[in-house]
Amino acid sequence: MVEISFAFFDEDAKKEIRRAILKGIALPGYIVPFASREMPLARGWGTGGLQISLSIITEADTIKVIDQGCDASVNAVNIREFIVATTDVRATSTTGEASIIQTRHRVPETALTEEQVLVFQVPTPDVLTVVEPDTDKQKKMHAHLEYSKLWVLLYEDTASFGDSRIASRYPVEVNDHFIMDPSPIPRYDIPRLNDNPALMLFGAGREKRIYAIPPYTKVKPIVFDDRSFQMEDFTGKSCMRCGAENVFFDTLKKDGEVQYYCSDSDFCDQTLESRKSHAS
Amino acid sequence: MSYVAIKGGSEAIGRSKNLFKKMLDGEFLLEDSNTSKLIFGIDRIMGEGALYSEKLAVRAIHVSGCNLLEAAFYLRAHRSTCRRAGKSLAINGGEIRVIRRISSAFKEIEGGQILGPSSDFILKLLAGHGSDLLEAIDGGDGSRKIQHPLPSGLSDLRSRGLIMTVAVKENERKPVDITRSSPLPPYPRSSMMQVMARGETGSMLGFAYTSLRGYGDIHPTIGDLRLGMAAVKMIHPLTGKAVVVGEIRVTAVESVGSFQRDSKDNNLRLTSGFGFCFGFNETKAISMSILDLAMSYPHYSVGEKSIATDPEIIFHHIDGIESMGFTDHFKMPHYVTFQADIKTLERAMEHDENG
Repeated sequence: MVEISFAFFDEDAKKEIRRAILKGIALPGYIVPFASREMPLARGWGTGGLQISLSIITEADTIKVIDQGCDASVNAVNIREFIVATTDVRATSTTGEASIIQTRHRVPETALTEEQVLVFQVPTPDVLTVVEPDTDKQKKMHAHLEYSKLWVLLYEDTASFGDSRIASRYPVEVNDHFIMDPSPIPRYDIPRLNDNPALMLFGAGREKRIYAIPPYTKVKPIVFDDRSFQMEDFTGKSCMRCGAENVFFDTLKKDGEVQYYCSDSDFCDQTLESRKSHAS
Repeated sequence: MSYVAIKGGSEAIGRSKNLFKKMLDGEFLLEDSNTSKLIFGIDRIMGEGALYSEKLAVRAIHVSGCNLLEAAFYLRAHRSTCRRAGKSLAINGGEIRVIRRISSAFKEIEGGQILGPSSDFILKLLAGHGSDLLEAIDGGDGSRKIQHPLPSGLSDLRSRGLIMTVAVKENERKPVDITRSSPLPPYPRSSMMQVMARGETGSMLGFAYTSLRGYGDIHPTIGDLRLGMAAVKMIHPLTGKAVVVGEIRVTAVESVGSFQRDSKDNNLRLTSGFGFCFGFNETKAISMSILDLAMSYPHYSVGEKSIATDPEIIFHHIDGIESMGFTDHFKMPHYVTFQADIKTLERAMEHDENG
């Protein structure tokens, strides 16, 4: 058997990734290139987030991995088991207990703290890709804060459909400077990035890019002055399982009827637990 | 309680891996274990070679030394020796006896998420720590019945009129067979689907990826991906009734794109693309559905002209047997043409000197 070091990577690999992370933190929203190692997981399946998690993790950490808000999803299970197998750290599904949370497509409902790091899996790191696929041009556009093409797209969509057609990974301005891709989280999660006490790291393995939002950073979606930011509306809906309201829901059709369930499975468990203890 | 369809993810992965191993060991589908180890090679070349025969596919892999482009070529060449017996009836995707069916659009769908045999969650480690993670778990008690027929994961959206239908011109209703006539542009949709069903997996993946990565707008959601057996039916010449003449392994994908205004009635609807091929080849079928989406609905934000949206590019550049043949032909003598090139260069240099 071949011995593999703590957290899979050799120490040089971790060092390189940590340097990219530090640069990303120093320049909020700036996209830092890194070499991106080959992982035993396919590209596009979370290798960017996984590389970040593996290079920052220590024996003292507790890891949580979610996909679509859910710890039990097969992708999350696969990644979590890999991290645990290569580090032997404690795994949890409870948001409050985790020091590192790797996520795909959601920000946990439970408020995060300064003690936590949220690691996002990112498919398309550059927000400009939707209007300019050439990476060289993208870099120059960021340098000049030249975002007019994004604004034109927003204008065209607003004129035709009343709002931007970008449903998830809605462009955000970070620290009053760069416009950034927040990874494919729903619009509901966008305001929750603002002034967040947790460090948020973004990893794109296939595209070989890392970027960051430091704790307590101003993050706002791009919207015209005379418009408000529209989000997924679940007013009046509640979770069929735990009864929670005002959270992001999965919808499911049963016997012709639409039912709502918390997308965040841990939040659902916690709510149910506290209801039960209240009842008893 | 059916809160999370894929709760107990560990167990689901374990069982899926177990089925995958069993499939490769020839415990089902392909019963000869020498052949079953080659299943994805066989399936790939049966699709690209456009000839469904496991026996001939195995032979083609052997005689080509597992050069799969060339193996597909053997099958394609063999086609010319086969007389066409007739036309089968159209296969209804809902009638496929599924062995694997997933939807990434909805957590829970009619008939359920069926992981089936899949290598998706097998860590790609040849040795060492983690390669034996999440050991295969022996299947359940086999009591789970797979619904049949099984409607597409998009059928609910479709029945609510939320999925756009590609307009097919009246004179294109009858499918074109590109092996019997070569269509001119604009290419009938049936000919494009046929070209793609026979297309080379890697080429289609490459072109589809351009659209995903930025040179296009397609970020599809897979509404329904299914692998299974499809019965091939023909009309019996004497009784006039449909009879099953065989079963083939197939992969079918329906993916969903962005919403657009439907020119038919000006309503907003979601676009969708379709992919289908012989054998189990998820990458190819997904790529095909993306190319179908890109070509059918070219306009979103980066403009209308990109590689994957251009039927002229896709139609002529995804056939592995043709592109490989022409690329390799440069090994043939080009003494005459190159001599002509040199002479032209000399004349141009002379012109330079005199100028």
